[in-house]
Amino acid sequence: MNYHPRLPARWMLIYFSICALAMVWPGALVANRIEPFVLGLPFFVFWYVAWVFALFVGLAIAYQGEKKEETYDE
Amino acid sequence: MSEPLIITSITIAYLAIVLLVGLRARHNQSSSLEGYVAGGRHMGLLVLFFILGAEVFSAFAFLGAPGWAYSRGAPALYIIAYLTLSVVVWWLIAPYISRLGRLHGYLTQAEFLSACYPTRNNFLGLFIGIISVLAIIPYMTIQIAGAGLLFEAATSGTIPFWLGSLLACAVVTAYVYASGLQGIGWTNLLQGIMMVAVAWFLGLATADQLFGGVGEMFRELQREAPEYLTMPGASGMGWGAFSTAILVSALGCVMWPHIFMKFYSAKSERTLKRVFVLYPLYSYLLVPLLIIGFAGVLLIDTPLDSADRVLLTIVVEIADFPAWLVGLALSGTLAAAMSTAANLAHTSATILVRDVGQHLPSLRGMSDQKSLKLTRYGVVLLSFLAYLLALANPASLVALLLGAYGIVVQLLPMLVGALFWRRASKTGAFAGLAVGAFITLLLEFGINAPFGWHAGFCGLLVNSIVFIAASMSTASTSQHSPAQALSETR
Repeated sequence: MNYHPRLPARWMLIYFSICALAMVWPGALVANRIEPFVLGLPFFVFWYVAWVFALFVGLAIAYQGEKKEETYDE
Repeated sequence: MSEPLIITSITIAYLAIVLLVGLRARHNQSSSLEGYVAGGRHMGLLVLFFILGAEVFSAFAFLGAPGWAYSRGAPALYIIAYLTLSVVVWWLIAPYISRLGRLHGYLTQAEFLSACYPTRNNFLGLFIGIISVLAIIPYMTIQIAGAGLLFEAATSGTIPFWLGSLLACAVVTAYVYASGLQGIGWTNLLQGIMMVAVAWFLGLATADQLFGGVGEMFRELQREAPEYLTMPGASGMGWGAFSTAILVSALGCVMWPHIFMKFYSAKSERTLKRVFVLYPLYSYLLVPLLIIGFAGVLLIDTPLDSADRVLLTIVVEIADFPAWLVGLALSGTLAAAMSTAANLAHTSATILVRDVGQHLPSLRGMSDQKSLKLTRYGVVLLSFLAYLLALANPASLVALLLGAYGIVVQLLPMLVGALFWRRASKTGAFAGLAVGAFITLLLEFGINAPFGWHAGFCGLLVNSIVFIAASMSTASTSQHSPAQALSETR
């Protein structure tokens, strides 16, 4: 069997890095405030809730993309 | 019926249901070691999702996470951040672990790494095996002790600590012994749903009943104690400590053997990726639990001795919930502790037999049936040991967990190198591991880490630099990374 581990598409690596940077220094600095409240949550709390969702969306898109390419067999 | 009696009855009924589900699952499994350990590599989306979710979210989610929000405020968000980001690492490496595991019959983390970096007498495998078991036992003890604590507090002492932890431990041991990963799968499905339902209900009901809503609760906190709502929080956690804790925990999560080994059990790589797509949604479970912790800042006048008791204090003493509801809440929090403990018992027993036991002359080359039998005995033995440790509660338990797990995390660079880097060399991998482990232990127990950074993060950084430098300086003849070479040999 000829099978080589390889890194996923470049856009995915960039997207995931953005998600990670948004949740730590320095990305999270811009969100370190209480106002405005969103969905009843202070902004800094909402920031994390939102990035969890962003990660979910990114993974879902990546999954669809890889499914089309058929990069792995069933 | 008195209140503690109602609470106790409901919780015991819940434990009975879990036990029943767990024992029934034994009919689904084949009587091979692969069936017992990895569900015959046939686990589907739904069950695998809940196995991973419920094992990652332990007693810490219900006790420690609200405790962080209550005592420190905003820094508690690190828990949501790292548990979500860890899925990225899984996404990158899990499909290859799964595939090579299927190809070569690996069942443990040590088997994978020692195949990539072969050593004389498989010394690396033995080393990883021992360190992993040393990391898992205290982790398991904390779950069992958490169960005892929950029982005692929720039933106002009707069920004492020793009995509560014994009940939880016995139920877990019974179904893991009988049904292996199938038992864990179906009980984790049940326990995972229970955890999510209870967490959301408690969070929203607490805010609603005592403040008139989540928004109102946070508004009041903004007026009374705004320092809890932004960094650096009430106790002053710096950005460096916060960020490095997130990164090292997210990276290191995959190295927990009970998580890593689940990758072998997936039906297909596509199933694994589907699980990972959905997984971030499971971590929303933490939001209501943090809300309870934040509410504690406003509700509790005299500071608690132990911040970890904030959820229990609010649910049992402050909110006016009926007894049956407290019983369900207790069941949900127990579910978090038990579902994790089950995976830890199962994993550590497998490692003990596969990676450590194989080195004993009398056990070398044992049959599949014999190692299956020994693994099941191992589950009973290790669970019992964890129970005894929970009773004795030695002060060195947390130090052992931090030390041993700190070393396990240092295996990450050599794992990533093995998968993706053509020039990854054994010398480089071992030099990196040794230096990384040394730095981690030194900063954890010896001197203070620079800038207040996480000890494990500093270890990983130096580890990677040494690994890369040493690998670059050795002449490479291989066209393939160590893991690629493995797939070529077939």
